[in-house]
Amino acid sequence: MASVAELKEKHAAATASVNSLRERLRQRRQTLLDTDVEKYSKAQGRTAVSFNPTDLVCCRTLQGHSGKVYSLDWTPEKNWIVSASQDGRLIVWNALTSQKTHAIKLHCPWVMTCAFAPNGQSVACGGLDSACSIFNLSSQADRDGNMPVSRVLTGHKGYVSSCQYVPDQETRLITGSGDQTCVLWDVTTGQRISIFGGEFPSGHTADVLSLSINSLNTNMFISGSCDTTVRLWDLRIASRAVRTYHGHEGDINSVKFFPDGQRFGTGSDDGTCRLFDMRTGHQLQVYNREPDRNDNELPIVTSVAFSISGRLLFAGYSNGDCYVWDTLLAEMVLNLGTLQNSHEGRISCLGLSSDGSALCTGSWDKNLKLRGMAWHELL
Amino acid sequence: MSSTTLVLNSSSITLQEGHKPHCIISANLNVGGALVQKASNGSTGILVNGREITKSELQILKLAGVQCAGKPHFWLNADGSYQEEGQKTVKGKIWDKPIVKLLSPVLSLPTPNKMTNQCGEEAINVVNRPEYLEQRTTQKLLLVGSGTSTILKQAKFSYKSKPFSMDECEDLKLIIQSNIYRYIGILLEGRERFEEEVLADRRKLCQHDPSSSGRPESGFCDEEVTEYSIVPRLKAFSDWILKAMALGNLEDIFPAASREYAPLVEELWKDPAIQATYRRRNELPFLPSAASYFLDRVVDISRTEYELCDIDILYADGITSSDGLASTDISFPQLALDLRVADELDPQDTLLRYQLIRINNKGLRENSKWLQMFDDVSLVIFCVAVSDYDEYYEDANGTVVNKMIESKQLFESIALHPTFEQMNFLLLLTKFDLLEQKIGKSPLTACDWFAEFTPLVSRNLIDGTSRSKRGSHNGASLAQMAAHYIGVKFKRLFHSLTERKLYVSYVNALDQQSVCSAIRYGREIVKWEEEKPVFGSSETVYSGDEPSSYSH
Repeated sequence: MASVAELKEKHAAATASVNSLRERLRQRRQTLLDTDVEKYSKAQGRTAVSFNPTDLVCCRTLQGHSGKVYSLDWTPEKNWIVSASQDGRLIVWNALTSQKTHAIKLHCPWVMTCAFAPNGQSVACGGLDSACSIFNLSSQADRDGNMPVSRVLTGHKGYVSSCQYVPDQETRLITGSGDQTCVLWDVTTGQRISIFGGEFPSGHTADVLSLSINSLNTNMFISGSCDTTVRLWDLRIASRAVRTYHGHEGDINSVKFFPDGQRFGTGSDDGTCRLFDMRTGHQLQVYNREPDRNDNELPIVTSVAFSISGRLLFAGYSNGDCYVWDTLLAEMVLNLGTLQNSHEGRISCLGLSSDGSALCTGSWDKNLKLRGMAWHELL
Repeated sequence: MSSTTLVLNSSSITLQEGHKPHCIISANLNVGGALVQKASNGSTGILVNGREITKSELQILKLAGVQCAGKPHFWLNADGSYQEEGQKTVKGKIWDKPIVKLLSPVLSLPTPNKMTNQCGEEAINVVNRPEYLEQRTTQKLLLVGSGTSTILKQAKFSYKSKPFSMDECEDLKLIIQSNIYRYIGILLEGRERFEEEVLADRRKLCQHDPSSSGRPESGFCDEEVTEYSIVPRLKAFSDWILKAMALGNLEDIFPAASREYAPLVEELWKDPAIQATYRRRNELPFLPSAASYFLDRVVDISRTEYELCDIDILYADGITSSDGLASTDISFPQLALDLRVADELDPQDTLLRYQLIRINNKGLRENSKWLQMFDDVSLVIFCVAVSDYDEYYEDANGTVVNKMIESKQLFESIALHPTFEQMNFLLLLTKFDLLEQKIGKSPLTACDWFAEFTPLVSRNLIDGTSRSKRGSHNGASLAQMAAHYIGVKFKRLFHSLTERKLYVSYVNALDQQSVCSAIRYGREIVKWEEEKPVFGSSETVYSGDEPSSYSH
């Protein structure tokens, strides 16, 4: 058996050759990429979407959290929203009536993510406790008025930054973690079915901050990480990532599949959003903000979401801006942060209802805001 | 008998029968009848709303400027205004004086919520609105750095009647059992490395001078046995463990199989080769000093019936198997503030609660986003082991790093993190005893950062003991001077980064008392911060320039 020192040498040599291959790939890609989405669309004569001030009104502010809102998720059906906050609670809201249907006190108040189960009957959350806790919304509160946890998924060696149920499967859930891995869980047994990354090669080399499952092909999901890459995974093959997407220059805070499942959008600490093609790996478009007049640092993108058709890309920023980008023309058509009644702090999360009719944004100002999309069938 | 409810508007004070007041309830709550005179077992002879008040309440009233001579009977209204029973003139308001609100919690007495001040003026001029007046009455202290899990464990032992739950104990057992295999793995790796080094040296020696090696044994150069060699049977086991370590699934095999292999591990541990390796443990990264404590008892620990004792918990590496965040609530018993209070203290009464939160620095980087979640802590307690100055470890890229430099860099990144911009920092320096043991042989200058350490040392002091009273350090030993110097370097660093003052204290993490006084010091710092606007920031009174006494 080769000695440990020899193995280490081989490992270092292998890493070096991988890095140089990667660099060659990047250069080759650049020569192949002759245009981006924006130039192409303009060449086709497309014009930007235009908005009336009434098209995206703030219909409601959801107040109730006593700490910053960190995460939110919609149910696939009933128009309920679950939000997680620094105050250590999950609140379930009925988006139509603004009523709070549940307020769940968490055992570990440092929660970073929350998600609704496909049937709307359970919610999952995770955070600095390195575990993902599941609550069944129909359970009875105990003597102290607290909702009991129905299951805790432990095994991660770092904080849980993101979680999402596999669509149409109440029993499976994927988490992304600060330990650089993503894990597919069986909720009923609490066991890990697969681990993506970590000791297995081609995993992320830094904290995973977000993930998104492809709704059209639920075997595929992407994860965005502090290592500035996005990786595509196949649930059936945990041993290696299908593809790695380079381009961003900072931590990737948010990833979201495009509605057609062939592309995805990302938001990052480098202040840009990008659109990538899933199969080819090409970076199709960069959504760059205008630099600020005072030359301050660019605000970072904290969260992204697409409209139903994908024509609009919503991006929340750390300075409270919420840009609505025209995906094709790479133009910012509306900044929700400048409208009346907008958030007073960083936008930490946002999401569209399943029918695309409403946008919910969560912020460090402790509120959530709902905005109706007047022409959502078209957009 | 359960005590009653929550905080709303003031007037009547609710309480557990026979105990001091717990909290204030609404003036309008129509429940039960009038309060019984002896409801809180007061012995002052002074009645408020028909209830004889306790001595601590009397102290507060006096501070509020209420004339209490002659055992008067008062009537206290919702807004804090009081008048003598039967009289119309309102004499004043007890909640108006800031000192009343500040000291009430110290004496474990309730104060009304901010919202209740009905005359509309902004409640108090205290700029740093004390936490305990709001809904949340918990002050958070963040523990970060090296050796923090030991400190948290000590806090749990000191302040909680049941420090660790069943689940937590099981978790700790798991940590201990799997760590044993990690330790033996590190030793095996080291053994292999040392063996190769010795063999390589021998080969070189033979090459240069094959004829006269000066050794009587013939075939010396063919000799493959060194002091680090083990028999083939053990070598096979060793290879298996090392392979598992390299593949990263050591934790999957053990501790499930630990009982089976424990005797083999014990044999390995007792083998002279491994013992020889252990003697050079300074060169083995990641081998904690407690490794021998557990390896000595490997068979015992691997049994299913193994029961943890407190020392096991203390020495275990880590506190939860995920090594994530761990926290514990602490309520302090009454401060003896020269206010003689005879009443019994119900722990539930203490409004002042502290939460010690320990985070793992493994994943902590300069821009770790999740640190933002701690923007509501009152104090950051950063722990550094002073014995780290000459210890090294290999990071993920294979670079050898000095542990003290690593601590310094972590300290810098946290001090500069935007979340902690105006936060107070307390530096806890631990493992002074280990420093003392080695400072004679290993100078402090082994660490680059301390290159300028030139203690005024007479010959008498070089061995670390102080026999001479000469010199400006009044007979401080070399170890003490070294530890002091480390504190000073951190203080200067902190000041250069933030222009603020770093609080420093020394702690022996294995001594419960020492940890308690460190935590109390932390609590003092938090209080001084709050009281600054009221009492003025008299730096000389509250913040000593010298770190507090060495305790070991």
